[in-house]
Amino acid sequence: MDTISFMLNGVQTQIEADKNWTLLYVLREVCDLTGTKCGCSTGDCGACKIILDGVAKNACLIKIGALEGRRLETIEGLYCDGKLHPIQQAFIESGAIQCGFCTPGMIISAKALLDANPNPTDDEIIKALSNNLCRCTGYVKIIEAVRMAARLLAE
Amino acid sequence: MPDQTQQEHPYIGANVPIAQAALKATGQMMYTADMKLPHMLHAKVLFSTRPHARIVNIDTTRAEALPGVRAVITHKNTPNRYYNSCGEVLNEFMTEQLFSPVVRYVGDKVAAVAADTEKIAEAALKLIDVTYEDLPVYYDPELALDENAYAIHDHGDLERGNLILTVAQSSGDVDRAMEQADRVFSGVYECPAIHHGAMETHASLAVFDAEGMLTVYTPSQDTFAMRRNLATIFDLPMSKVRVSVPAIGGAFGGKIDLTTEPIAAALAIKTCRPVRLVYNRTEDICSTRNRHAMRLYLRTGVMNDGTIVAEDMRAFVNAGAYASGTTSVVWAMCGRLFKVHRCPNVRFVGYPVITNTTIGGPMRGFGSPQLFFAQQRQMNTISKALGIDMLELQRKNLTTQQGADPRNQQPHGNARPIDCLNRAAERIDYSEACREQLESENARYRIGVGIGVGAHGNGMYGVKADITGLMLKMNCDGTCVLFTPSNEMGNSSVTLQKQMVAETLGMCLSDIDCVEADTRLTPYQLGDYSSRGTFVSGHGALKIATSMQKLLAEVAGRMLEVPAESLRFADRAAIAADGKRVTLEEIVLYSRDHDQKELMCAESFASQAGVMSYGAHIAKVRVDTETGEVKVLSYAAIHDVGKAINPLSVTGQIEGALQMGLGNALSEDMGVDERTGAVKNRTLKRYKMLYAGDMPKELTVEVLDSFEPAGPFGAKSIGECSVVPTLSAIGNAIANAIDAELNSLPITKEKILEAIAKKTENKA
Repeated sequence: MDTISFMLNGVQTQIEADKNWTLLYVLREVCDLTGTKCGCSTGDCGACKIILDGVAKNACLIKIGALEGRRLETIEGLYCDGKLHPIQQAFIESGAIQCGFCTPGMIISAKALLDANPNPTDDEIIKALSNNLCRCTGYVKIIEAVRMAARLLAE
Repeated sequence: MPDQTQQEHPYIGANVPIAQAALKATGQMMYTADMKLPHMLHAKVLFSTRPHARIVNIDTTRAEALPGVRAVITHKNTPNRYYNSCGEVLNEFMTEQLFSPVVRYVGDKVAAVAADTEKIAEAALKLIDVTYEDLPVYYDPELALDENAYAIHDHGDLERGNLILTVAQSSGDVDRAMEQADRVFSGVYECPAIHHGAMETHASLAVFDAEGMLTVYTPSQDTFAMRRNLATIFDLPMSKVRVSVPAIGGAFGGKIDLTTEPIAAALAIKTCRPVRLVYNRTEDICSTRNRHAMRLYLRTGVMNDGTIVAEDMRAFVNAGAYASGTTSVVWAMCGRLFKVHRCPNVRFVGYPVITNTTIGGPMRGFGSPQLFFAQQRQMNTISKALGIDMLELQRKNLTTQQGADPRNQQPHGNARPIDCLNRAAERIDYSEACREQLESENARYRIGVGIGVGAHGNGMYGVKADITGLMLKMNCDGTCVLFTPSNEMGNSSVTLQKQMVAETLGMCLSDIDCVEADTRLTPYQLGDYSSRGTFVSGHGALKIATSMQKLLAEVAGRMLEVPAESLRFADRAAIAADGKRVTLEEIVLYSRDHDQKELMCAESFASQAGVMSYGAHIAKVRVDTETGEVKVLSYAAIHDVGKAINPLSVTGQIEGALQMGLGNALSEDMGVDERTGAVKNRTLKRYKMLYAGDMPKELTVEVLDSFEPAGPFGAKSIGECSVVPTLSAIGNAIANAIDAELNSLPITKEKILEAIAKKTENKA
């Protein structure tokens, strides 16, 4: 077992894990943070998106050993003090959520985008979601949700 | 019963976000794979690498000896009862066992391990030694039908050999009408096996406790049939089996059948510990269920003016290795052929056939996507051959509001496919698109416009007892709990039930708490399938809310000293004609304290009408004749859903259907490697579903302003119907762009280039 220290949702965290385990496995099975979902384990669906040092990545493709000293955000970090994040609010209101399994990953991709680019064009939104699969919505209302979130965040 | 046609309805026709959306947005929604129980074990399954073989020997001693392994199960130490995994045909064609001494496809279950961690379970699989003796293999249903073919099953009462059952229906005199037709067109249409692609893979968590109670947590669309099947397999009374649905991360028909459930259950029973089994994506693609691969032979007899006088279809349906719900799918698709055209002479013969491929099961559309791909592609061919515009040809032949099934004169309901079509043509500017098609006919980039029409049902009336049971109890602050057998799997069906209750009782949506889909806690229903969510279960919710309204009105009438019938319910109160009111809270407390009575109801609703839903889609595509690349430029999808109870979810269903349908048309294909029998496209990378950037930028999704008299508040289904016209709209658009016949799905770049090359060759 290895000891790995990193910043998890703003809290300095130390965990015991084999450094070759995937970040996704550690989040779900060691940290009990099950909001990050597993849809494929091959980096194709985006259900396990997390934000690593400001960039949205697939947790299934990252070894936990690579987390040392880095800053990690997961879906659990967006909901604080009983208040939904504006992106979460926008996803709910615009009907972007159906079965909900892709939702955390979608919201994380949207957050990484809006953190870096508060006023994205539709093409930039589509590009930011280009590694996130959804089988329910056809993406129309997800794209609308990101537009709405940008508006809410600007207010 | 509230007046369903006239009044203002605050919740009917409102855009309502899906129930529990905040849980889904925050990651708090607990799906099966997110659950952990104390002392829980992890399971992995050993799958067959042979397409058809007898297990001569299976040695698990090395696996059992691995530290951390708690149980290894095979056909030698588990119950051997036969079952049918699909609840719709629970008592028929029982070909499957928990584990069989014969494997029948690559991906069939051979053994399973429960261990302290998933990694140990995985390591143990490699220590199981299996000796196989290969048997004859069939991947093509037509070859498996040969009278000398080896019978893959010796159990299950199949009709003969590998043929499960001949499904045949007809109306009028097809042969005579074909003889009298001016022209007879014929074609062969191929549809591959399709992966449901729900983002949540199949998973179960099973518990077998000291009271002998088997509980299985699983994303199930069909809890009650799963309970019955599990009770049969493990020889338990139903009082000792509970199937409970924590959440469903997408289903699309793929979570009707038993898949992971009996394996997790057997390991839980063996170890007396909770066992969790979660399939990875490759296991999900290869070892659960898929939409049936089919080969369809269609002949259409037409008069020179475009009137269709006869339709004759033969369908060879690849059931895969076990019967599952294949006959049910074929019966359903058979029925649809009689539901769209005015033509009186129609014949369908379907052959569901066992082969050595992955198992075909229920999937969104239930045979309709394949059926209408063939029919609508052939309509397009007829249109070109007769020189009659496709729009005209459709209008001449599509059924109308007075339409009825030619077999039995059963009305289709308020059938308005022509109105859908006209609206789609208007919204996409059909004549302008046709002009672009004509102008680009010699260019590198060709424009093509394609029309597809489709239909789907509303429940299983006439086939099964189509029942939904519900319970409702009032809380003493005037809120309530609805006990529904449905699960909110993403299509807003539970949300819609809440809308019915809120509307009828004058509550807010947040006043209604729901207990969902649990065989221990809710009444029975047929299942969350067959497009019965709105038309049947939604009607059930209206019925139970109406019963509760009567109870509340009776008490309120006494409190206000007015006739109960004179009360209306709004703003969390019963309101008399003169404006006097009592709140729901006051009514419930009065009932408890004064009448000493709890206000609660139980009802069952049985559907009594088999109406149809219709839709028309028009696609405009651009084909690059040098690369074969297709871009869907614009798309119009217009549906008749009666009254849209929740337009936000109705449009969401249609938009989602386009992701699925466009993917099915252009890129999705499980494929079989004929050397090994394995699925070719076993990862999401290879099984190409569409991402956001692949979707058309210009998209029109609309529903007609309509009303279905037999539906709750005039509503009918959308979930399945929405995917049905997609394959033919895209297929026809590409065929028109390059002026070629493309009748095999998916229509890939390679197939397009091949078709273009063939044309060039023919010209030369």
